[in-house]
Amino acid sequence: MILASRQGKIRLVKWYTPYTPKEKTKISKELPPMILSRKPKMCNIVEYSDHKVVYRRYASLYFVCGITPEADNELLTLEIIHRYVETMDTYFGNVCELDIIFNFGKAYAILDEMLMCDGSITESSKKDILSHVHSMDNLESRDQIERIMS
Amino acid sequence: MAGSSLRSFIKDVRSSKTLAEERSIITRESAKIRTKLRDDHLPAEKKRKNIQKLLYLYILGEKTHFGQVESINLVASDDFADKRLGYLAAMLLLDESQELLTLLTNVLNNDLNNHSNKYVVSLALTALGFLSSSELARDVYPDVEHLLSHSRDPYLLKKALQCMGKLIAKDVSLLDTFSPKLITGILNNHSLCTHGVLLGVVKVLQSILQSFTSYQEFLVEDEDDGGSYMKETKVSESNQEFFTRILEPLISIIPHLFSILQNLNAKNFEPDFDVQGICDPFLQVEMLYTLSLFFQLGDKLESSEILQYLNKFSDVLTQLATNTDANKSTGQTILYETTRTIFSLNLDQPLRVLGVNILARFLSGRDNNIKYVALNTLIKVVPQEPKAVQRHKKFISKCLRDPDVFIRKRALELTFAILDEANIGEIVEELLRFLEYTNEDDKSLILFTVEHLVSVFDVYSITDEKWQLQVFVQIMKLVGRHIASDKISDILIIINNAKNSTAKRDVLVDMMKYSLDDKFSLEIPDENVCWKLVSIWCIGEYVDMLLESQDTSLINERSLSDYLCRCSTRHNEDQRLLNYTLTAALKLSAKIDDAKCLEDLRQLVVRRTRDPDLMLQTKSVQYELIFRQPKAVKRAILETMPKFDKPHKQEENPLSKPIRPRLDPPKESDLLFGLLQDDNGTKSANEKKQAPSVPQTDLLTDLFKGSTSSNRNSNRSSADARGIGLLSQSASETVQLPTQSVRIHVSDSLQVFAYLLSCGNGTSELEMYFKALQAIDEIQSFCAVPKTQKLTIGQLYPRNSLQMDDICKQHLKITGSGKLKLRVKVSFNVNGNAVNQQFDYKFDGSL
Repeated sequence: MILASRQGKIRLVKWYTPYTPKEKTKISKELPPMILSRKPKMCNIVEYSDHKVVYRRYASLYFVCGITPEADNELLTLEIIHRYVETMDTYFGNVCELDIIFNFGKAYAILDEMLMCDGSITESSKKDILSHVHSMDNLESRDQIERIMS
Repeated sequence: MAGSSLRSFIKDVRSSKTLAEERSIITRESAKIRTKLRDDHLPAEKKRKNIQKLLYLYILGEKTHFGQVESINLVASDDFADKRLGYLAAMLLLDESQELLTLLTNVLNNDLNNHSNKYVVSLALTALGFLSSSELARDVYPDVEHLLSHSRDPYLLKKALQCMGKLIAKDVSLLDTFSPKLITGILNNHSLCTHGVLLGVVKVLQSILQSFTSYQEFLVEDEDDGGSYMKETKVSESNQEFFTRILEPLISIIPHLFSILQNLNAKNFEPDFDVQGICDPFLQVEMLYTLSLFFQLGDKLESSEILQYLNKFSDVLTQLATNTDANKSTGQTILYETTRTIFSLNLDQPLRVLGVNILARFLSGRDNNIKYVALNTLIKVVPQEPKAVQRHKKFISKCLRDPDVFIRKRALELTFAILDEANIGEIVEELLRFLEYTNEDDKSLILFTVEHLVSVFDVYSITDEKWQLQVFVQIMKLVGRHIASDKISDILIIINNAKNSTAKRDVLVDMMKYSLDDKFSLEIPDENVCWKLVSIWCIGEYVDMLLESQDTSLINERSLSDYLCRCSTRHNEDQRLLNYTLTAALKLSAKIDDAKCLEDLRQLVVRRTRDPDLMLQTKSVQYELIFRQPKAVKRAILETMPKFDKPHKQEENPLSKPIRPRLDPPKESDLLFGLLQDDNGTKSANEKKQAPSVPQTDLLTDLFKGSTSSNRNSNRSSADARGIGLLSQSASETVQLPTQSVRIHVSDSLQVFAYLLSCGNGTSELEMYFKALQAIDEIQSFCAVPKTQKLTIGQLYPRNSLQMDDICKQHLKITGSGKLKLRVKVSFNVNGNAVNQQFDYKFDGSL
């Protein structure tokens, strides 16, 4: 999964299947321009080498997912992307590109609560995801406060 | 900037104005982090900061491998913040293939058994799901199993289940110890079954069902030492064992899964899981997929235990298909999965028709994604349910005009897929209309269409030849400038082989009207080389036929010869077209009487006798000779072409080849010209132009044998090749070896000499002489020069089959810079055996 800005800059990236560094660089170089060049009315599914790539644009940010053609449901992938964005939206309160750039750690945390292993969806409840991320945040800050107190 | 926060680092990177500035900031910071990571006495806070920055570098695509060990150190820390960041870093910086993972094993073991903090366990599980090598899978499997059987926290359960699925997929041998009770136990405890847990459960099921084949392989390997009979029985025994121990308990939960799915689908509103009024589409789709895997396996094993539920499953699917709201995108997602399931299991016909209808409804919608998936699925469905798909032709043709090229491409493939004897007329008309709308960007689509139309006409016998010809004339008119040269040959063959001569005449006369009349010049622009080539060729071949027709005053001796003259002057650059023009002029001259026209045509030929292109020059000189012959002789030589046999293509299904843009990837090659490595002869641009010259003599032998069986070269034959071939045979000159020539290659059957005619100022001309030491035939030579140079090669002269001590020569012209060197590959037949020889030669001079 790759998040890319409108300028083709990568904002967040997570690989759910192992690739060599070379392949990774190649993919991250080739994919964003390919997707950026598509017009808004075109469909959100692109064929890329032996994979399919599903993307969705939110304001200036493109969310890009590679999927296995036969097993994965393209439309469901679009829904998953949407779910992720919604969840981030609630977490950050009207999420924008900058939120993700500066708090990529949190963005990853939410993603990890939603998708696991090789990208299969783990939790479909937004509330559930958020409550767990929040309690982890709290744990972290409590530790910090304790440390400062001691 | 030392010790500055992550935030300010990101800001710095972002505010840099030039790429160079950004680079320098990044490299500086990267180096700094690298040194700091080695410092063990840094406070935890600082260490974290460094790793955070490192992760930002990772996102930017920088090298970050040096942080791998540090991230594992962080994971081992007791501090939660450290651990969290550490796991995040480990998941990003490491991957499953790395040996460093063994360092993680202990930490993971500890964390999975951490009972005080469930988040530590959950982080460990997430990381494990992400980073399990098969070794790691075996090491931590007991811990995950323990969690599954003891934990009562849905949050941990769902993650443990996901991990379990992953571990099994990583190492199938784990199924040996896997107990299905883990799954059934969880399913039976209603309070545990949150949606997350259910998602985990189906994940494990999917993983088991998918691993089944590899598990069998694993068993076979395991038993490898026994005899083959023993092996077989053992395998079937352990299969049986697997079946009763693992599958059977799992099969018993199928009805349970049905009811969960049905409940989900019928549920109206549940705020947590609602997506546009549909309850948890994610879970619904995953369940459908799991069930379909169940039945696929059931099919494969012919297991009645599984298949007994098939009817019930059909009912469930029907229910889903009818009750799901197709107006919502989430509803469409579920419907889509439903149809995929129907077709992957090839269920009953009514269900299949239902599926096709759902997909057709998708096509009529406005959403492009849905159209795309629908087209994609329909293509796969055609073989199963052709009639049902054909019924929705209207929607499919509508997609041919979609603005999205991916949709058009799919629609096109589908259109060809549903084409059959009954609807061919209608569909071809539809395709012609499609071609009308195409533009420059659709080149690959156009080529695809033309190519497939040609093969379609090959496969189906068309009774209406006139219509078939008209279709091709129409195609050439619309997209002629995109048609590749091999397809032009195919079209020529079709025209040539048409049996119905009145139909042929009518169509060709129509075509000529367009060619000859200036008022259509806009419709047939100069770039439409295909149209021109075919027109020229037809003038040469069918003069009689054209002149016979009384339909129009446009066609007469004058206008035809004018057309040829015009083409010859206007397309000065196009060798192929000029070649065609020459032949056509010659052929035309044999059949007309007007002296003025004849003189024009003669001029046309004569003008090329001083052409810089060797091929053209030779040809026109030879033609000029024939030109002077009396008309009767000419007529006999220049008889109309016999029918070609079109060699049968390998592809049977016109759709077996997916559309690929015609851009060949640039081939890697060594300094000296990779083109020879490709045995199939990826000829350089230069050679390509000359390609028609290669088959000449072959064609000729065919002609003389009086048979029309074409050998491997003649399928791409061009009419003009035959004309000249006639001559090169009749001219039985011999070639003498110049005394100054150098021997550059010698073998049992062949000696090769080179004679440098001129060299310097960026060009060099030389001649290669092939001297036969025994009788050889079908000589072909391929030459290549370094990349800095360009090569033009002539044909073999006087012929390409030699008796002992015969010599033939070939002219080469090299332009460019650098040392003069050649790589030559010669192929020929000795006593019917094909021989290939390759050698390099370096000349003293340079360009």
